[in-house]
Amino acid sequence: MDALVAGAEAFIQVFRTAADVFVGFTTGIIPIVVVFLTAVNALVKFIGEDRVEGFAKWASQEGAIYMPVRYTLLPFVAVFMLTNPVCYTFGTFLPEKHKPAFYDSAVSFVHPITGIFPHANGGELFVWLGIAAGVEIVAPDMVTALAVRYLLAGLVVILIRGIVTDIIYNIMTSRRAGVE
Amino acid sequence: MQALIEKIGRSVGGVVGTLFQAGRDAVDLCLKTIIPFMAFVTFVIGLILETGVGDAIANGIKGFASSLGGLMIVCIICAIPVLSPLLGPGAVIAQIVGVLIGTEIGRGNIDVSMALPALFAINPQVGCDFVPVGLALGEAEPETVTVGVPAVLTSRMITGPISVVVGYLFALGL
Repeated sequence: MDALVAGAEAFIQVFRTAADVFVGFTTGIIPIVVVFLTAVNALVKFIGEDRVEGFAKWASQEGAIYMPVRYTLLPFVAVFMLTNPVCYTFGTFLPEKHKPAFYDSAVSFVHPITGIFPHANGGELFVWLGIAAGVEIVAPDMVTALAVRYLLAGLVVILIRGIVTDIIYNIMTSRRAGVE
Repeated sequence: MQALIEKIGRSVGGVVGTLFQAGRDAVDLCLKTIIPFMAFVTFVIGLILETGVGDAIANGIKGFASSLGGLMIVCIICAIPVLSPLLGPGAVIAQIVGVLIGTEIGRGNIDVSMALPALFAINPQVGCDFVPVGLALGEAEPETVTVGVPAVLTSRMITGPISVVVGYLFALGL
């Protein structure tokens, strides 16, 4: 009988702990996400599609000089304003040969951005939040610093991804052309 | 005068309407995506913390996640072009592994300085399942998609480990 009670106790303890964590997340994460989402959603609507598109046309020009713009600023604006997965439609403005690199660049940014701007990818917050929750326990004052660094490192990574994918795509297309 | 009042009334109404709709979208997203996923994640955390499963996983993960070399190995495995599209969908795998590593950081088993490189190490497969759709959203030609898919997947083999190093460098001095 005692064993049965102990077993039940252990069983229910899993859910008690889970519930505590859930309450912590609900009070710690949900309010700020809701308010933030509201503000950014409104901001995006006030800025309007036309202006964003104008920027996208400027930023997606060909040429090596535009590379840092094309693979950092453009994905940032796309993911920030249009959010995942609509952000990839910005590929429309790019020359055909840069589309795969832009996609690679933009899709690699949908998680680094969530540390500071959770609205951009609300459905996949726990890549960041999972790790941040742990950091929160050990070093609460470091979480924001980590979020900023995640964003900046993300920008560097997407620039590298854009450039590397561009090169690989070029090699692959020229090989294909050679075969045919 | 009446025209002015009407104009003010209309524009204020417009602003309030936009804000209200924005709030509705925000709550909608919370209820339909964030909270359900949160419920699932907290259940996993509960299991990890209260059962022996946690310790078993901890030992497995600790070896990989507490050194740069280990994270590299995780990253290279996740970036293998055959595996990456399978690991990609919904970032579910990345999110679960993120929670596992986060829990271990919280318990003090993994150092905080590994958090940033880990964020990149568990995620070289991001969007690998979505390349054709993503390119189609950008109105790419079918030929671009044919070459673009392997190009992105191959690129991840190179840029994945680089991203871990970038993460490591950015975490210095934290």
